[in-house]
Amino acid sequence: MAQKKTLVISSADQLLEARTRRDFLKVIGVGGVMVMLPTALAACGSDSTTGPKPGSGNTLTIDFANGDFAVLQFAYALEQLEADFYTRVVAGFGGSNLSSGEQGVLGDIKNHEVIHREFLKAALGTTYGFTITATYPGVNFSSRSSVLATAAAFEDLGVAAYNGAAQYISSTDYLTLAGKIVSVEARHASAIHDLIAPKTGAFAPQTFDDAFSPSKVAGIAQGYIVDKLAFANAPSTFVQGPNNNG
Amino acid sequence: MDQKSLYDTIDPEIMTRVNARQEEISKGASVNSKLAAALALGSIPVALAALTKDVFAQTPSDVLDVLQFALLLEYLESEFYTRGTAASGLIDAADMTIFQTITTHEAAHVAALKSLIMGKSATPNPKPTFDFTAHGAVAFDFQSGQYDTFKALAQAFEDTGVRAYKGQAPRLINDKAVLTAALTIHAVEARHASEVRRLRGLKGWITGNSRDDLPAFTQGIYDGEDNVMQGPVDVSMLSLTASNGGTAAATQAFDEPLTKAQVTAIVMPFIASA
Repeated sequence: MAQKKTLVISSADQLLEARTRRDFLKVIGVGGVMVMLPTALAACGSDSTTGPKPGSGNTLTIDFANGDFAVLQFAYALEQLEADFYTRVVAGFGGSNLSSGEQGVLGDIKNHEVIHREFLKAALGTTYGFTITATYPGVNFSSRSSVLATAAAFEDLGVAAYNGAAQYISSTDYLTLAGKIVSVEARHASAIHDLIAPKTGAFAPQTFDDAFSPSKVAGIAQGYIVDKLAFANAPSTFVQGPNNNG
Repeated sequence: MDQKSLYDTIDPEIMTRVNARQEEISKGASVNSKLAAALALGSIPVALAALTKDVFAQTPSDVLDVLQFALLLEYLESEFYTRGTAASGLIDAADMTIFQTITTHEAAHVAALKSLIMGKSATPNPKPTFDFTAHGAVAFDFQSGQYDTFKALAQAFEDTGVRAYKGQAPRLINDKAVLTAALTIHAVEARHASEVRRLRGLKGWITGNSRDDLPAFTQGIYDGEDNVMQGPVDVSMLSLTASNGGTAAATQAFDEPLTKAQVTAIVMPFIASA
């Protein structure tokens, strides 16, 4: 059975890159789907953008010479983004057309992401901690479909990020901690996709979840982060997962 | 040099002694006092580092053992869903796409694990004979009218699968390809678990150690899910936890691992007696 592929497009420029075009052809060739993140459209210019431009802020460097702490810092950046996103979603419930059931799911997820963020903050301490500024070009917080599509993209990205970063963790304790969080992100992803397309196979669109390299994840996440993400001493090798798309 | 090739050169007997020593250290006062000192300094990173194992116990035979163990769980799930989706009148027509999706995934997981095992020059263990009544504890034989029981069993298998893969991940730490493959399956099991739970009217995530409406014999699947100590951090006591769902949310936010022995105890009733 052919593996269904998903290609994530986070910026309009990406559509013009040769590698993306090759992926596109591969994906479409096997009946896969292409996901256009809201940023892809936002970058076209006509859409109104809220807040500062992604990547326009100070450089935030994650130094992999710090070993496992670098992986935790990377996770911390993503959890800050997710927690901030859902906090805004919940704050905007009054003006949105999300059902009460959907608000319950999103409220639970907000709680989980805030707790993930605060846990990592405590684990990293002041030595390794930092605060990112999020921005949401093209996201309409009063639109159910915009909120759910963005949530799905974040959750899928979170799963792929933890799956791909696990290979750089050298402590079994941290590896287990990453495992404890990633399956909850996958539960979220499933629930969000189920809200968008109930009674379909959308809750788990692939036989194997993705495992993305930190640089691939950072490239996508950068579309929502004002700070300019940078890596120092980044690992030179990445062991691909079964989908071979990291 | 990577860890694995180093271990290949170590006498297994020495490794056994190293492991025994590691266990002593992990329980010993010296590490505890180091941890206490680190906590006293207010440095949680140092405290976490003190908890970190200084000796790795993973060996190539561990990896094979994990793969064979995962294969057993995937055999169980795969046969359960294959028979379920094939049974006439069992699954509500509206939900058939959901269970066909899961059936396809579990069959592919079986194939992938077999392929990984053969890639290690080993032979996949054969599929045992399963007993989905759990030796008579559940009235279930894939008949029309038993859809609620089918969904309850599906939840039990999926929530177990998530915890089982998670518990084995540390044993794969030195085999990055198998680790990554296992994690990408682990996440799909979590997606299944969330979907099946929601289909049953539950939250997609586990609160405390609640088995909800599942029968008492399944409690082992949820024991320990109420843990709030993540490393040295009590996540129920974080300053923002109270205003973000409290202890209930703190337990939902982290799925917990199960040991191989715990998973075996859960799964054994579903394997037919010889």
